[in-house]
Amino acid sequence: MGGLARRVSYIKAFKQRSNTEVPTLSVDAGNLFTDDRFSATQLPAEVMTKNKWVVKGYGDFHHDAANISYLDLPYLGELLKKDGFDKRVEDYPFIQRLVSANIHPMDDQHRELVPYVIREITLKRGAPGTKLKIGIVGFSEAKPLGPNAKETVYAGFRIDDPFEAAKKVLPELESKTDFIVALAYMDMASVQRLASENPGIDTIIGARQTSTMDEPQHFNRATITYAYNQTKYLGELRVYIRGDGTAENQINRYVALDSTIPDDPSALEIVTTAHTEFTNEQNTNAAAASTSKPNALLGGGESPYVGVETCAGCHEKENQVWVNSRHGHAMATLEKKNQQFDNECVGCHVVGFQKGGFQSLYTTPQLANVQCEECHGPGRQHASNPGKGYGFVATPVGCTQCHKEPNDPDFDFEVYWPKIKH
Amino acid sequence: MRRKLSLLVLVTFVAALAVVNNGCSGAGGSDSDGGDASVSFDLNDPKIKERLGEDDGYALAIMYGSDIHGSLETCG
Repeated sequence: MGGLARRVSYIKAFKQRSNTEVPTLSVDAGNLFTDDRFSATQLPAEVMTKNKWVVKGYGDFHHDAANISYLDLPYLGELLKKDGFDKRVEDYPFIQRLVSANIHPMDDQHRELVPYVIREITLKRGAPGTKLKIGIVGFSEAKPLGPNAKETVYAGFRIDDPFEAAKKVLPELESKTDFIVALAYMDMASVQRLASENPGIDTIIGARQTSTMDEPQHFNRATITYAYNQTKYLGELRVYIRGDGTAENQINRYVALDSTIPDDPSALEIVTTAHTEFTNEQNTNAAAASTSKPNALLGGGESPYVGVETCAGCHEKENQVWVNSRHGHAMATLEKKNQQFDNECVGCHVVGFQKGGFQSLYTTPQLANVQCEECHGPGRQHASNPGKGYGFVATPVGCTQCHKEPNDPDFDFEVYWPKIKH
Repeated sequence: MRRKLSLLVLVTFVAALAVVNNGCSGAGGSDSDGGDASVSFDLNDPKIKERLGEDDGYALAIMYGSDIHGSLETCG
């Protein structure tokens, strides 16, 4: 579910259905960029490529603003470097629509983000002909370090208190606009505080890798809603306007971006090109790093995973079931879409990813596919000293780590289990 | 004189275009969808209609998402 091509397609259909009478804004509440394998100062080249295409894709397909969260900072430094900034903006104008009111570069080698953007629309319904200025402002929490600790300096940026920043920026924005949308990458309690301390906000769109679709809340005049993780469900906030041009009501919907929504061909072209460039670069880098690199998670020690070949030595009957199952061909699913090197995907298609098991197809091909140990647990100890007590699987909880509703909306344990029963 | 007239025609045409294009505008770019703004599938398909919901008179819409974490597509 999800993806830019379906998102674009749905928005086009939405506009077409209303005879383009409804001005439609598109925003992102944060965590646009991957920080995969960020090491203190830089991101791997292929990760930068992936992020670059997000900037292009969002710009080409009408996104009005995107909020910068702490997760975006490792890549943001590349975008805001003063050196070459004008050329970068020429190539990727969407850079100027990245907003944050409380994130600032630590040095003078980087440009400041804009705290907000203002979009002007002309209403055709409610109060036809009325022009509305809509301010879109962004806030992020600091990087969580634990239950009660946060890192306010990260990847060369300072993350100020968002509530203090709001008090500074919102009066100014209120004086310039008719309607304020705040994008807030923070937990619900903080979003509620933002609304209660700032009565000028009309809408708050929160985000924090949330996979629930709750009804909107209301504080002061603000309607609060949360974006769904990975935009697998697109949020759609409908605003109803009175004859005097003021907002009367806001109704929220979540739209499942599943196969019912066909891919938009032009957006798909961007997605495919991005994918090819990212994969080619990753293949090159992974091949270069394939010289039996020790598993970083183990400090060079032995992996606790032994792989299916070892299991099959004693459990041949069970192995046959696995070989004929989709678990046994899980990597092929990614290979069909050329995603076999995409760390955002491989975790659910291999065994022991980021737990001392699978690293990449170049270094640990024997741990590709969803093997025995992904469900039963690392088996090295059991293999060296076989006996009872190993291998209990808590179902269906264990399954739903990957077969989550957005990944696999049709998952039904009673139907799926017989397919792999052993 | 001729050049002035051509310039006037050009300026008038550009101004007319700006008036006609009365969608979103302002800081950060135009209301472009990238490519053709119409869709090639049937908006009356029952499943599509269900996704679009009723057109009940809303005057403005805000489409939103988050947490794509570098991925313009989803896995598998």
